[in-house]
Amino acid sequence: MFLQQVVNGLTLGSTYAVIALGYTLIFGVLNIVNMAHGEIFMIGAFVGLMLVTKFNVSIFVALAGAMVVGAALGYLLERVALRPLRRREVSHLAPLISTIGVSIFLESLALKIFGPQAQSFPPLYSGQLFEIGTLKISLIQIIILAISFGLMLALRFWLDKTKLGKSIRATAENIETAGLLGIDTRKVIVLTVMLASGLGAVAGVLVGLAFNAVEPTMGISMGFKGLAVLILGGLGNVTGAMIGGLILGIAEVFSVAYGSSSYREAVAFGLIIFLLFLRPQGLFGSQTSQGGR
Amino acid sequence: MIKMKNAIRKWTVTTLAIMFTVAVAGCGGSQSAAPGNSAGGAAKIGVVSFLSGGGAAYGEAIRQGLELARDEINAKGKTKLELIFEDSKGEKNEAINATNKLIHKDNVLAIIGPTLSGEMFAAGPIASQAGVSIMGTSTTAEGITDIGDYVFRNSLPESLALPNVVKKAKDKFSLKKVAVMYSNNNDFTVSGFKTFEQAIKDNGLETVTVETFADKDTDFSAQLTKIAALKPDAIIISALYQEAALILKKAREIGITIPIIGNNGFNSPQLIKLAGSASEGAVVASPWFPGKDDAKVKNFVAAFKAKYNKEPDQFSAQAYDAMYIMADAIEKAGTTTDRKKLRDSLATVKDFQGVTGKFAFDAKRNPAMDVTILVVKDGKFTELK
Amino acid sequence: MEDLLNPYYLQIVMFMMINAMLGISIYLTLSTGQLSLGNAGFMSVGAYTSALLTLKVGLPLVLAIPVGGIAACLIAAVIGIPTTRLQGIYLAIATLGFGEVVRVIILNMKITNGALGLSGIPSLSTLIGNRLSAMGLGQGAMGLTLQQISNITVIILLACIVVFLVFFSLRLRSSRIGRAFAAIKADEHAAEVSGVNTVYYKLMAFFLGAFVAGIAGGLAAHLTFYIGPKDFSYHRAVEILLFAVFGGSNVVWGPLLGSVILTSLPEILRSVAEYREMIYGAILVIMMIFRPQGLISEDTIRFWRSKLTGSSAQAEKSEPARRPAG
Repeated sequence: MFLQQVVNGLTLGSTYAVIALGYTLIFGVLNIVNMAHGEIFMIGAFVGLMLVTKFNVSIFVALAGAMVVGAALGYLLERVALRPLRRREVSHLAPLISTIGVSIFLESLALKIFGPQAQSFPPLYSGQLFEIGTLKISLIQIIILAISFGLMLALRFWLDKTKLGKSIRATAENIETAGLLGIDTRKVIVLTVMLASGLGAVAGVLVGLAFNAVEPTMGISMGFKGLAVLILGGLGNVTGAMIGGLILGIAEVFSVAYGSSSYREAVAFGLIIFLLFLRPQGLFGSQTSQGGR
Repeated sequence: MIKMKNAIRKWTVTTLAIMFTVAVAGCGGSQSAAPGNSAGGAAKIGVVSFLSGGGAAYGEAIRQGLELARDEINAKGKTKLELIFEDSKGEKNEAINATNKLIHKDNVLAIIGPTLSGEMFAAGPIASQAGVSIMGTSTTAEGITDIGDYVFRNSLPESLALPNVVKKAKDKFSLKKVAVMYSNNNDFTVSGFKTFEQAIKDNGLETVTVETFADKDTDFSAQLTKIAALKPDAIIISALYQEAALILKKAREIGITIPIIGNNGFNSPQLIKLAGSASEGAVVASPWFPGKDDAKVKNFVAAFKAKYNKEPDQFSAQAYDAMYIMADAIEKAGTTTDRKKLRDSLATVKDFQGVTGKFAFDAKRNPAMDVTILVVKDGKFTELK
Repeated sequence: MEDLLNPYYLQIVMFMMINAMLGISIYLTLSTGQLSLGNAGFMSVGAYTSALLTLKVGLPLVLAIPVGGIAACLIAAVIGIPTTRLQGIYLAIATLGFGEVVRVIILNMKITNGALGLSGIPSLSTLIGNRLSAMGLGQGAMGLTLQQISNITVIILLACIVVFLVFFSLRLRSSRIGRAFAAIKADEHAAEVSGVNTVYYKLMAFFLGAFVAGIAGGLAAHLTFYIGPKDFSYHRAVEILLFAVFGGSNVVWGPLLGSVILTSLPEILRSVAEYREMIYGAILVIMMIFRPQGLISEDTIRFWRSKLTGSSAQAEKSEPARRPAG
């Protein structure tokens, strides 16, 4: 059972990791936590679902479609809720509160449009089981692991090697200097938010597939887990988010397997509170950055 | 600074003085209009239901059952009913405000609802103190009717249904060891679990493990993997149909083939729709058997399908019956305005034939009704013999 | 006139008072620039503690409620101590997570009865009603029923607590502690560099907020006969935040106004009940863009005060210039 639970944990964890990536990208560049990320994730899931059920496209087209919608939502978010706040002198809490507002708005909008019932993807994508020894992995789990890891590696490569990726990192490092160096920081910010939201939307489709339930409140709990991973991995640290997500997934699954399943939801935040005592900059953050003072 | 302190003191005292004056100068505090009456002599019944928000599916199902019954009753012409719906969003404070509004502003004759046991615990005392009958159609926790003499319910407490299903399953499947799963953040499923626990003990079965999850959870692989490794003879689950369907699917997906026994929450056509072939063989105890060979049931299902384009689940069925019970009681009491008379009339309901079977209120205003054991076969609920 | 004293309205006023207290609890923490999203969690700690004390141990209300507040403080220490050393965002996320952890624990503890909640909690108005009966006012007086009199007494009691809190906040503000708070809110680094013990003051503000939220929770529990884990969800925490943010986060009158408006609005707008959350979300976003300090800010107060007391040089010159913060 141990190995099986590890696989369960990795699958769960990879979804957490992809969500956390969105949070950490935005934090890195804008220094804010986008509380609406969970809702963008949820809308991505619905978009994917609608594309597959109403328009009968393949799952990969659905993923792409969700990414596009997610990016569009990200653009709107940046334009409407975040950019106006950068122009004036507001406290660092204002963007946080503003994104909380967006998240509440999106959640109830989705409830109104899609209804409270959980909906599922058609059964074409589920059911196939592969057996490796005593291990049972479903096709869906394989797809999710592949796509999540693929995305993470692609993102890592892109941030390290491409010009745009490097501009993002530069802006995250220090926005004023980046501006002085000729980087169009405004464009970078918009792009980062769009990218992060696109990733979030894709994560939504993956999770919707994995657990076969898409409903408007799924953004909240996933959003919480993403926040937990954000702190676990270190604010703004991309590698931290990836590994942190996997760790959280495994921790949660193991707490069910070997402990009590009732406290599963508390594992994520229990971890954070614990971590805040010992190593607030997260597992991968550096001492001098966001953590201490 | 001193000026400010004095200013504040001035304002506070003034405000309090005004409030006292208002209270003292107060006129008679009697209710304005006769309760329950509206133009045309229709009986006004208030409904508090979970109409928007995460659990709205259940509140909507209840609303649909009530409206269908109301239309049928009004068409018959003997009693006229007017329903006033208030949304409680599943929140206790909202339920309180809604109940207060219905009683003191809309002057209803009686109230049906609220949806959740938690809401009932908060709203019930208010209604009871005000002398307004309040009837729950989905509140299954223990102790609901102990709130007061005006609190009724026709929702079958799990304590009647579940022991039956455990015993029958044990006999049929020769069970010795079972695993239990339940949703622990929902009063409906937690009550179900407690009843299951007792029934398992009474039947001498061994519990290999108890696993929990929460409403809206979607990942059950950890719990099910753990259960599979322990090799029980059956899994007993207390959940709402959404989670139940997901669990069924996941269980069958990872190769669990043992029988799965569910609480009332399983009893919904949505379960079969969501779980598909994974729902085959699921066993449920319920007063609501949609395939029953009974004219009343058949008519209800047909009418419901015609109006709402879907099959009625247990919530709708019990709400439908509740409306009829209420109408019956109003007719017998011979009044659309006397709250006390209605209450007494309700308390004497006996031999009522509803779509959920024979019904009567017992001495504590809880339902006394029959239970059928159902199993999902070929995509439909059929009786387990 | 009896319309005003309708139990429906009286109950709403009671909720307004509780919400005002909760709004003030967030305001207190916010006055050092910290955002606590876990006040629903502290509220639940206060509510459960005091309810269990009155239900199981029979402790009189007047003791049970403060104990609830203290319990909330103790729990606040668990998150407060590590996070006050760090940036504000850590506190926000940690309190958010804390709210969730508390919820899960409450769901699973035997003593809190899990999802079934605690019912049959002695209600303040019933207790007062009994007291009044014993004094011979059993049949009501002045044309009001016993229930209405006891409800009004409860409202007066709650109002007194709110008034006390307002008074306390105003005094605090102009005290040395209040100035330290304001300095930290304006610029934490500068404050620290000038010798203000920021961790100490931040923790104090956090404890104050938790205590008030705990008291509010204890009172609320004894108003509604029942408490359950669903009453203290994330949505509640956001609602509480809304009172302060909407009404005004810089002055104590803000949460007061916010709670009055936002408690009565749902009743007035019953017809659009299903859009309420959307409207709340939109309000948050719009407020942050156009008026991040909320409806009432210091300028508003200065303006009205100068109008009322007639003296034009009333503006307190000693207050440091503050950023219109969110």
